[in-house]
Amino acid sequence: MQVTLEHVTHTYQPNSPFQSTAIRDVNMEIRPGEFLALIGHTGSGKSTLAQHINGLLKPTAGKVLLDGQDIHEKGFDKKALRQKVGLVFQYPEHQLFEETVAKDVAFGPKNLGLSEKEIAERVEEALARVGLGQPGIAQKSPFELSGGQMRRAAMAGVLAMRPEILVLDEPAAGLDPQSREDMLQLIAGLHRQGTTVVMISHSMDDVARFATRAVVMEHGTIAMEGAPEEIFRHAERLEQMGLDVPSVCRLGLKLRAMGVDCPPDIFREEQAERALLALWKGGAAHGAE
Amino acid sequence: MALNDITLGQYYPGDSAVHRLDPRVKILLLIALIVAIFLAGNLLAYVPVILFLGLVSSLSKVPVKMMLKGLKPLRFILILTFLLNLFFLQGETPLLNLGFAVITKEALITAVHYSLRLVLLVLASSLLTLTTPPITLTDGLERLLSPLRAIHFPAHEMAMMMSIALRFIPTLLEETDKIMKAQTARGADFESGNLIARAKAMVPLLVPLFVSSFRRAGDLAMAMEARCYHGGEGRTRLRVLKCGKLDYIACGCVALLIAAVVLCGKVY
Repeated sequence: MQVTLEHVTHTYQPNSPFQSTAIRDVNMEIRPGEFLALIGHTGSGKSTLAQHINGLLKPTAGKVLLDGQDIHEKGFDKKALRQKVGLVFQYPEHQLFEETVAKDVAFGPKNLGLSEKEIAERVEEALARVGLGQPGIAQKSPFELSGGQMRRAAMAGVLAMRPEILVLDEPAAGLDPQSREDMLQLIAGLHRQGTTVVMISHSMDDVARFATRAVVMEHGTIAMEGAPEEIFRHAERLEQMGLDVPSVCRLGLKLRAMGVDCPPDIFREEQAERALLALWKGGAAHGAE
Repeated sequence: MALNDITLGQYYPGDSAVHRLDPRVKILLLIALIVAIFLAGNLLAYVPVILFLGLVSSLSKVPVKMMLKGLKPLRFILILTFLLNLFFLQGETPLLNLGFAVITKEALITAVHYSLRLVLLVLASSLLTLTTPPITLTDGLERLLSPLRAIHFPAHEMAMMMSIALRFIPTLLEETDKIMKAQTARGADFESGNLIARAKAMVPLLVPLFVSSFRRAGDLAMAMEARCYHGGEGRTRLRVLKCGKLDYIACGCVALLIAAVVLCGKVY
């Protein structure tokens, strides 16, 4: 299943004094099985773009295609689209509303019109998936959970719909380091099992660790696109856009600026480890001479 | 989504003489203007009012379209007022005999008179709300009501509540929009079904909205206390409202207008 955006433009409150164009003539595709990172400064149009992927926003101009079919065409089954493309908003825990966690997770599958048995199965599976499978949690009120648990419960609500494409708007924002790591591992796990992931993120370290491809947005247009290693090669350009490079990238850049012969294109921790070890050994060998 | 269509308050940003008037003066002048409109005893007396409103709105640079938008929700009442007066008022000079009713000259005049009064009242009040930011408006209202503190009327608290409410309307709208989208993404349907189905569909929207409103209210109260807020007692203001030359001129203009309206009523 493939989603393609063709010349998508979105203007909020058109023809009013408050009119603003969030994205302008965006062309991109989401390839099956990839882990796509959407990067950009606040207000660059990432979230607006994400909401086009499952048809929550209708483009002011341009088309969104699912396997070649325009999703805003008359007669297109939006419910089926929303089952296939799951969207996890920023701070999804703010959408919890049911009396129990299980009921809340069941909301999506229920809307799909599944049987009771199927719903129960999916709820159990989704809760186990996000690490809330312990007995008792399902029957708790979602408002009794901790912040991290609430986030995961909300995530389970989307996973219970078994989406093929999962779009996440800053899923790790505002979590403590442990919950953050758990959340990222959960997403990476879903990706490994075949879910296509689109993740909006401000953390370049996360992008370097997980993404197979990255799209950089600036002022509502795509400024850069490619594999993370290609994108992080343009550290200066990224900084101009108010963005960052992964911390190991910064380390490499600093070392090279100091005149240390450190290989370029380091953007993952493992690569940095290898390069630094090599440098250290080389240096040690040098010193022993 | 439909939420995008809601204009907040209806302030139209600008820096005209009308925008710069003291809000207290503007509120009082609006009251005077309303009195003038009610004083108008005949159609001729409306001429100075219409001229005045035209002048002020062109001074304010608010597009005519925005001004007329305020009339849209009232269109049925306007038409109804006009038609009821036209058909049911008894007069002496018949103009048109429709068989089931006779339209008289007096009825036509009264119909125009009353509908025009309604239109002018709405236009005059929208001029105030279009040219004054809501927060400035509550500020002005607080100052105007403050003498009532003598009889224990909580003027400051009322104004503070109004400002907070106004401040949070956009935030809540945004929140509503976000939650609505989040639930739609989970297959919720807010737009179809009968009344009961639709009311039920609001639960996944309203519960999170209430939860977040209470959380926000708690946070806000905490933040206000942390900054030593303790009510209006002895509180000074950042922007002290001051009447200037412009305000006196405006008062003079409205006084002239009232005189003109009374005069026109007498002459006819």
